[in-house]
Amino acid sequence: MNLLDIRNLSIELIGKNESTLAVDRVSLAMKEGEVRGLVGESGSGKSLLAQAIIGVLDDKWRVSADRFHWRGKELLHLPIEERKAIITQDVAMIFQEPISCLDPTTTIGEQLEEAIDSSQLTGNFWQRRKQRKEAAVTLLHKVGIKQHELCNKSYPHQLTEAFCQRVMIAIALARRPMLLIADEPTASMESTNQGQIFRLLASLNQLKNMSILLISHDLENITHWTNTITVMYSGQFVEAGTTEQIFNKPFHPYTQALLDSSLNANSNVPAKSRLMALPGSIPILQHLPIGCRLGPRCPRAQQACVAAPKVKNYHGHQVSCHYSLRDSYK
Amino acid sequence: MFIFTLRKLNLFLFTMLLLTILSFSLSFLFPGEQLINISGQINATEQELAILATSYNQEGNIFEQYLAYVFHIFSGDLGVSMSSQTDIAGEIVRLLPATIELSMFAFVIATVIGVPIGFVAAINHNKVTDNVILAVAMIGYSVPVFWLGLLAILTFSIQLGWLPSGGQISLLYEIERPTGFMFIDILVSESPHKWQALQNAYAHIILPAFVIAAAPATVFIRLARSAMLSVLETSYIRATRAKGLSFIQIIFRHAIRNALIKVIQHIGLQFANLVTLAMITEVIFNWPGIGRWLIESIYQRDYTAIQSGLLVLSTFIFIVHIITDYTYAALNPLARGAKYGSR
Ligand SMILES: Nc1ncnc2c1ncn2[C@@H]1O[C@H](COP(=O)(O)OP(=O)(O)OP(=O)(O)O)[C@@H](O)[C@H]1O
Ligand code: SF4
Ligand SMILES: [Mg+2]
Repeated sequence: MNLLDIRNLSIELIGKNESTLAVDRVSLAMKEGEVRGLVGESGSGKSLLAQAIIGVLDDKWRVSADRFHWRGKELLHLPIEERKAIITQDVAMIFQEPISCLDPTTTIGEQLEEAIDSSQLTGNFWQRRKQRKEAAVTLLHKVGIKQHELCNKSYPHQLTEAFCQRVMIAIALARRPMLLIADEPTASMESTNQGQIFRLLASLNQLKNMSILLISHDLENITHWTNTITVMYSGQFVEAGTTEQIFNKPFHPYTQALLDSSLNANSNVPAKSRLMALPGSIPILQHLPIGCRLGPRCPRAQQACVAAPKVKNYHGHQVSCHYSLRDSYK
Repeated sequence: MFIFTLRKLNLFLFTMLLLTILSFSLSFLFPGEQLINISGQINATEQELAILATSYNQEGNIFEQYLAYVFHIFSGDLGVSMSSQTDIAGEIVRLLPATIELSMFAFVIATVIGVPIGFVAAINHNKVTDNVILAVAMIGYSVPVFWLGLLAILTFSIQLGWLPSGGQISLLYEIERPTGFMFIDILVSESPHKWQALQNAYAHIILPAFVIAAAPATVFIRLARSAMLSVLETSYIRATRAKGLSFIQIIFRHAIRNALIKVIQHIGLQFANLVTLAMITEVIFNWPGIGRWLIESIYQRDYTAIQSGLLVLSTFIFIVHIITDYTYAALNPLARGAKYGSR
């Protein structure tokens, strides 16, 4: 059974006169214990999609979907509060830019402790306090922070980026989530730190059977750690499949370009950089092309591309393109 | 914290330098003899004037004259009032506490009322509550203080007769004034009618304090509202929501503290504004403070008093700013390490 099954989720930015479709009918499914990569250039709507899943988008966005199943249960018909309660119970998220996601005026210790669900604690008032403290220390140890006392007393701006990222992971783990959404967990980090964070996530996945949705702009960077990958471009679904399918035989011209650019650059692509393998840059929300949004940049584009392509499924390898590369592999 | 203090001290010295230069140059700009303007001795004989001239170093160049002036200020000599020939420093020491008391009272009222209302408005953003609060704040800000003061006296003192219309305390109570602060003096006094006196003093201060507080409170409402709105949009609030905290918990544990820090910085700046309002209100309510005294001096063209009064008042406001800076630093761990002049 799928842990999470989302069909045709759309996110609109509500404007004064018209609203813009920032994310256009994207589907995403996650199995238990799976590590799925969510890849796309900067501005593809990856963070928006993730925030829509855990329901923290503010009211200038409107989210709609055909299906939103969590462990087989349809959440769409539930009232907002109830849906949020169910989701935050089992899904945790590490946000992009960890430092800005920690309250600058509260110590790390306090922020960590308040994330611990009181249902995990037993006993009376003061026993709970002590348990909460101990649980926080355990969490810090789990994410590889040994100086827990110093860390608990610090304020976010006193810590390095990588350190904050670990704290964010610890906070996310406090709820003992079944699904962890990690939004660019290693952006702007040195490669040694990157490896540590990825290994930590991988071990959590293996030991706790925790599913992970790993968001990144760099396809190459995450392929070692994922089972399956979903690719997005400018708010549209591009391609999904197992890591081998995507990596060895990409069907979509965009995935091909992503692969080419990261192979050419041969190392980490800095975030928010341009994609070298395709001309032009990702369209801004105010000027989205009709039909397939890759159209203006796509080397294979033809007239049919002014209509949005339908998703085709070849043995679990889904692709959304009129002229997919599938035939070229035969 | 030491460097922070050093920085503030530095700033203080420079500001004092500028203020004294300004006040010194005023004595040249006012009509009449500079020596008389600066000392206030209008009835002095030739001999007395000669002594004054040496003490203000009139023989020396302008810089030496300025130094002599500063020396006079620091030895507590601000000259005598041209109209009453009383010692100005003594007058100020006698009157300033009443103004401080009134301003502080009004400031507390404005903060305690304005800030929470602003927060409530932000939390109910785009709802009826928010719009009503904003409209009321707009009206409150536009009402002139003297009109509001007269209206308050008309309603609460004359028609309803609830509160006295002027003065600091009823003349019936004889209170020793060792500190000059009415409430402190009453509390330390030996008077058998201490508690009645205290009540009476409260009754006198409430009306002028609310009148002064009205406009600043509306400013605080808007400040607090926009601070809270911007805090509610930050990523850390979004992250706390993802942690599963309820809305109430988020507001009380994270949003209020961060919003307060933003507000306090601006609130300090409003104090100067509030003191000007207090000065006008003192005239209406016959409050024996430095504002009424200064405005009377202006009417009487008492140049010495104007010059010294301005110096003391600006110093006072500047000290208040420094105190708010310290409060801000104590609340916000980030500000203590901030770069020079950036806050
Ligand atoms: N608060 C916002 N207001 C208006 N537009 C926004 C807002 N947040 C995101 N967008 C727009 O939505 C689109 C998708 O943004 P999103 O942050 O999801 O991209 P992303 O794939 O996460 O990119 P990145 O790699 O930069 O994080 C972008 O075009 C962005 O400009
Ligand atoms: S649908 Fe057309 S424009 Fe879009 S990716 Fe495929 S070929 Fe390119
Ligand atoms: Mg993002």
